[in-house]
Amino acid sequence: MVSRTAALIVAALAATALPASSQALARLTVQSFALATDTARPRVDVPFHLIVTLRVRDRIDRVANLELPMLADLELLGDERQTVSSPRGSLYRETITVVSHSTGAIAVAPATLQAIDARDSKPKQWYTNGLTLQIVGGAGPGVRPQVLLGPALFTLRVLLWIAGLGCIAIVLLLLFRRRRASIAVVSAPAPAAPLPVLRSPREQLADALLVLRTERTRSAAVRVRRAVWRILGANDGETLGDVLRRRESADATMRQLLVALERSAFTYDHDLRAAIEDACSALERQIDSLA
Amino acid sequence: MIGARGPGDLRDALAQTIVGQSGVIEALLLALLCNGHVLLEGPPGLAKTLACRSLAAALEGEFKRIQFTPDLLPSDIVGTRIFDQRESAFATVLGPIFANVVLADEINRAPAKVQSALLEAMQERQVTIGPQSFALPDPFVVMATMNPLDSEGTYALPIAQMDRFLMKVNVGYPTSAEELKILDRFAVADTQPVRAVATLDDVRAWRDEAHNVHIDEKLKRYIVDLVTITRNAANVIVASHGGASLRAAELIDYGASPRATLALAFLARARALLDGRDFALPDDVRAVAPHALRHRIGFNYRLATDGVAADRVIDAMIAAIPAP
Repeated sequence: MVSRTAALIVAALAATALPASSQALARLTVQSFALATDTARPRVDVPFHLIVTLRVRDRIDRVANLELPMLADLELLGDERQTVSSPRGSLYRETITVVSHSTGAIAVAPATLQAIDARDSKPKQWYTNGLTLQIVGGAGPGVRPQVLLGPALFTLRVLLWIAGLGCIAIVLLLLFRRRRASIAVVSAPAPAAPLPVLRSPREQLADALLVLRTERTRSAAVRVRRAVWRILGANDGETLGDVLRRRESADATMRQLLVALERSAFTYDHDLRAAIEDACSALERQIDSLA
Repeated sequence: MIGARGPGDLRDALAQTIVGQSGVIEALLLALLCNGHVLLEGPPGLAKTLACRSLAAALEGEFKRIQFTPDLLPSDIVGTRIFDQRESAFATVLGPIFANVVLADEINRAPAKVQSALLEAMQERQVTIGPQSFALPDPFVVMATMNPLDSEGTYALPIAQMDRFLMKVNVGYPTSAEELKILDRFAVADTQPVRAVATLDDVRAWRDEAHNVHIDEKLKRYIVDLVTITRNAANVIVASHGGASLRAAELIDYGASPRATLALAFLARARALLDGRDFALPDDVRAVAPHALRHRIGFNYRLATDGVAADRVIDAMIAAIPAP
């Protein structure tokens, strides 16, 4: 369980591993950027989906610099990405299948997207909304009645689908006729408003510590190093010297952590284990200092 | 990792004698650890001789200074054979190059054949006088200086010759605070004695340690990227003196050689050791990159006509490569 949970964090950190500055930011007109779940009350040990939806006015094949939140309390079961493009824009949907093995509230931080805003040509970062999931216990008694009511529900669903499709067809017909009459100037919807990051630096450091403890490898150390740098607002491509000169790195405990992470990222193989151990201790001290 | 007596102690000892000029001190120590040589460019009176003399004293080594002049001969550097009338035979007199630390002052004042004699000795680490070859002492570091202010009657070093220097360091004037300290420190005596803090054997041991300093794969790629961009800098933009934006590629005829790649790796290792580490960091590479690249890039006439400082182009190219 721990290793699979860590795998999820690693996957999340892996998304951050691609330096934004090292690759050109895409030029996008973001229309909406949201994080949702397919169930209001996820059940313990029952898989559910987290869905990141990005709607842009541009034609895109892939989305770069989209970072998923660190999900320390959930186990990753799968990740599916889908991009649908049309002349009017593109819809990117990433469906992450997860499962929780414990009850209680889980905070999911917003996903972020870095891109050049096509409206004003400035580099920006967009945030989705965050989520607070209340995981409830057991699969519940609702399974059996659902099985019994299966055929009736199926018929009802088919009827609802037909009615829904009819409504969509009528709306499209009306829109088409109106468009032919006059070309309306549609003002660009405002991009998703940046929301505050729900996950605190302390929580992010705790996630990083879990990753490093579970996966004691060089690549994990590099990802954790990058994640800590981002907490300090450092850009990819900077060096330790640059980061240490930042005001946010003035604290002695944080400086020790940065030095320890640098060692674990660049030391020789025989020293790696000790270096990661040192970095874990430094992370613990930093987490304690933020308490 | 590093014994009680490390290269850092040597640096501290030199810093107690020489005010400021940390770049010169570090360059000398890096060259010593890499078994290389340094080219210094800066106006006179910036403690270059003092730095070399102090380094030799701190190592209990021998120091020699050669003032390059237009009438200098190769034999004035490497040595010659003279006839000994008492013995009725030719005897060899070794030149001033036979020392651990050699200051070749104003190397560009001597003609090409004299420069070649020095550079050949630097490369081969031995000189041949008559029928006999003589090995130069080990360690052997040459610190050559060039004065950028007074270039009349000088013989410019070709890039191929400059490439033999491990690094080129531009020496600037000290700050006001450092100059005040110089006044206080040298008010009584001309120079302050340097105590010996290491031996020549220590230097040889440090060189082995420097050789074993670890360089991660990410850093190796970073080094290669830094050298490669000097050969293809079309996407690097530099502002000219007049404010116009220029592509760095338009200012460069040819980029740094693979020798620059090796020099960067050597220097990064040595800097890590100087800092008490047995693994190199991106900071090490970035700190030494201007010194390793400066004299290995062939800039064209537009650098002067557009009023762009060579170091600004180099800084822009280094900034264009994200550190790992």
